[in-house]
Amino acid sequence: MTVPTEDLPAEAPALVEHFFRHESAKLVAVLTRAFGVRYLDLVEDKVQEALLAAMQTWRHRGIPANPSGWIYRVARNRVLDALRRETVHRRAVELAGVNEEGITTLVEEWLREEQVPDSLLRMIFVCCHPSLDRRSQLALTLKILCGFSLAEIARGLLISPEAAKKRVQRAKQSLAREKIRVELPPAAELEARLAAVQEVLYLLFNEGYSTSRGHEPLRDDLCEEAARLCHLLCEHEAFSTPETRALLALMLSHAARLDARVDSDGLVVLLAEQDRSRWDRPLVRQAELWLARSKTETPSRFHLEAAISLTHCRAPSLETTDWPLIVRYYDRLLDLQPSPLYRLNRAVAGALDTALDELQALREHPDMKGYFLLDSALARLHELRGDLAAAHAAYTAALEASLAPHERALLEKKVSRLRGR
Amino acid sequence: MAKFMFLYRSGNDCVPNRSPEEMQEAMQMWGEWISGGVEEGWLLDPGDGLKSEGRILEPDLTVTDGPFAESKELVGGYCMIEADDLEGAVERARSMPETGGRVEIRELAGHSMG
Repeated sequence: MTVPTEDLPAEAPALVEHFFRHESAKLVAVLTRAFGVRYLDLVEDKVQEALLAAMQTWRHRGIPANPSGWIYRVARNRVLDALRRETVHRRAVELAGVNEEGITTLVEEWLREEQVPDSLLRMIFVCCHPSLDRRSQLALTLKILCGFSLAEIARGLLISPEAAKKRVQRAKQSLAREKIRVELPPAAELEARLAAVQEVLYLLFNEGYSTSRGHEPLRDDLCEEAARLCHLLCEHEAFSTPETRALLALMLSHAARLDARVDSDGLVVLLAEQDRSRWDRPLVRQAELWLARSKTETPSRFHLEAAISLTHCRAPSLETTDWPLIVRYYDRLLDLQPSPLYRLNRAVAGALDTALDELQALREHPDMKGYFLLDSALARLHELRGDLAAAHAAYTAALEASLAPHERALLEKKVSRLRGR
Repeated sequence: MAKFMFLYRSGNDCVPNRSPEEMQEAMQMWGEWISGGVEEGWLLDPGDGLKSEGRILEPDLTVTDGPFAESKELVGGYCMIEADDLEGAVERARSMPETGGRVEIRELAGHSMG
């Protein structure tokens, strides 16, 4: 197998961050668009081989002037070589009157910089196809569009490597079986299909953002990738709806606080204790802009959640936060979706005296059984009201849940602080 | 000072299922290791990788296929370094990025003038 050598200069330019990851996504999208989803596995393998060849060659000879083109040529040649060996395919290609030259011309057209987003968007809709369940959509999106390995998917989604493998394999088989085409959804399906994509990106972001299992740098990448793909949607006329823009605003406003959520020991820092000077102001401004551009008569939960997040971002301190505004946003969220989590957050944002009743009532909610954040919020409330015995009892209840080590540490710190009072 | 050859046994970056991100990181580390070694002067030749397909000429001059990529002893690449002694060479080898296999450290016998 030969690798191109003609454009290897002496002086190596550095690669941009995540170059391999995004190059993998781009090539898999374009080549799968050219050859069809039934060759998805083959395309992925060959792109992987091309990246490996790049890594082995470049580390000795430096990075070529056009690294993308280099990897593309290796990947394309290897895919074509593999297909040539496949008699069935050769016949199919002959019957269809398609020649390799034709496909190559097409692929090279699609790889032009301004054309790439089109292939990526098609692939997003393939990965979030309604024939797949939500969890498979998440795993496949990470695999194909974010260039995650199965091990990284497992770490990112906190599932076992076997489960990650199964989800991805099943999703691919299902796409091939249903003969899903690499295309954008037809107008009649657009709304529902776009909503599914938004939901997947929202979940991806939350998987990365959630601190419930401690901090891991890879999970920041999940947030970054979700925002990148959402941004891609926002740059396409048909997909840049008020909801998509609000979703991007939501992601950016949370992302602005990512760094401040982790202390120098890698431990999670809660909102109340965060150093607000570490919040990423330019990112907050971008979030404000996207929210401003998402105006609509019927705000979605993305709008309201973004508005809440930005209310926090605007406040110089916890005390000066516009809590009544946040409560009003939660009221509107509850109108859209009566989720007990919204109720919990609304109660915590609200007045002390009503919060206690609401939290007590929530303890009876079937979805909140053993939810330690509820007991922890109750404890905090008792503490603020000066009822230290009740606070202690609530922390004890919270500690009874099955907790990750860092959650337990956080709670125990609070208990010992309480004892010191 | 003595010269040493590092032989990358059992493949060359055949770490299975390495993700694109990990490949980029590995490449970065290799680049730094190589440029650092050249600058400091102890890396005499950054070497190269070796393709796995080849031929073997037997003593009776017959030619056979091989070596085989599956072989655990397959040499996947090499480089040349300079060090005070074998211990120093081992330390250099320790500072290498992952090769995906073992690194064999061999001192040149000095028979050649080169």
